[in-house]
Amino acid sequence: MLINKDSCINCGLCVSRCPVSAIKEDTPEGIQIDLDECVECGVCKRWNICPTDSIYQQELTYPRSVRSLMSDVLTIAPESGISGRGTEEMKTNDVTGRFKRGFVGIAIEMGRPGIATRLSDVEKVAMAVVKEGVEFERDNPITSMMSDPKTGKFKDELLNERCLSAIIEFGIEKEKVPKMLNIIKEVSKEIDTVFSWCIASKVEPDGTIPHVKIVEDMGFWISPNGKHNLGLGKPAYKFE
Amino acid sequence: MTHTLHRVGTVENLDGDYVFLCMPSKDINHVGSGPKLRRFFEIALKHNPVKIGDARLGNEYHQGGINKILENVEDRAVVQALFNNKEAVIAMMKDLKEEDLGLSVVLSGLGEHVGECCNKAGLQLHTVEHSLGRWGKTEKLPPQHILEIATMCGHAMVAVNFIQEMIDEVKKSRKTAEAAAEELFKPCMCGIFNTDRAAKLIKAIVEQ
Repeated sequence: MLINKDSCINCGLCVSRCPVSAIKEDTPEGIQIDLDECVECGVCKRWNICPTDSIYQQELTYPRSVRSLMSDVLTIAPESGISGRGTEEMKTNDVTGRFKRGFVGIAIEMGRPGIATRLSDVEKVAMAVVKEGVEFERDNPITSMMSDPKTGKFKDELLNERCLSAIIEFGIEKEKVPKMLNIIKEVSKEIDTVFSWCIASKVEPDGTIPHVKIVEDMGFWISPNGKHNLGLGKPAYKFE
Repeated sequence: MTHTLHRVGTVENLDGDYVFLCMPSKDINHVGSGPKLRRFFEIALKHNPVKIGDARLGNEYHQGGINKILENVEDRAVVQALFNNKEAVIAMMKDLKEEDLGLSVVLSGLGEHVGECCNKAGLQLHTVEHSLGRWGKTEKLPPQHILEIATMCGHAMVAVNFIQEMIDEVKKSRKTAEAAAEELFKPCMCGIFNTDRAAKLIKAIVEQ
């Protein structure tokens, strides 16, 4: 995103609206967008806050275009076909059977909440978890940003790109969860951003949520609130 | 897309924060899903939601009103309805069960409350997802009271600096907490920013 300095009156109304504080006030040219920090989320322009309509979207070419894909919620990812930067994950598990009994889903959302991330940090975490033989969710846009999904290595030209968040998403056998949680805990010390992460599993017939005991036994915090698929989708996936 | 998860708060202030999401699945039941998604909205509107929204096309401000949201909904949309009380949640669940739209429905909220609502509506949980919190350089995060407001937009469209600006406006009596919450809602394109909860949180901050 850019500001047309011919029409900008330096009123500063846009500054606080930027989710990543990329609109700077104290530059020699007055209000300016720091393009290195800007994640191309579109919030400043979409808000129509500028009284002189001076905020405009420059043409985004690859590799910068991935910033918009991963940060602007209204951009449709070709891989998933849905808006946002994730996938259907557990939301449609009632019809897809994506997370079967004995498996859990894990999603590590790099840069969330609101801190943003370089793709180099996403690569660090991806390369750590892939050593356990996980297969990244193929519908997730970050999988297509990897030069080799088997190693978690990203394409070199993307490593310095910055986005509001990027989700590393995979399913693993229940037995592997303790080791995986420890791997993620260790790699969290090596990154220059934050992540929010989550775990999902199919509820057992007796109402037990399999991942809860595993997580609690390891002494990890687990949220009192969560997402609950109500099983109303059709045709229902037939679980074993 | 975990945009309705990771909402930060206490058990007390998360009471009254329930987000229904309805979506089709690619290549399984997405063809012809638009009218069913519209029906989801119609059912939700019967129960006085705090907000409704469409993650594909934007919230009521972006689309130009609630009616536009209903008119514009497309086959592959991901739609949401937000409620602030269990009675409405139970009524919504009962209607969705009876209507049998055939699309996946997810409810985000406190686990204990969701379980209670399911029992009363005659539904069984299928799959559950929990947050494991925020890790890494957490010293970069804003304070808890700001996070509680900011994380209600899962895509982080609501800027921390703007939240502080709105709190300051309320402190100076230039805005009510409700008006500030409505301003904060505007960039949340999916319409899942809970203005009712945000107003309560802002009032609590200002009173401290």
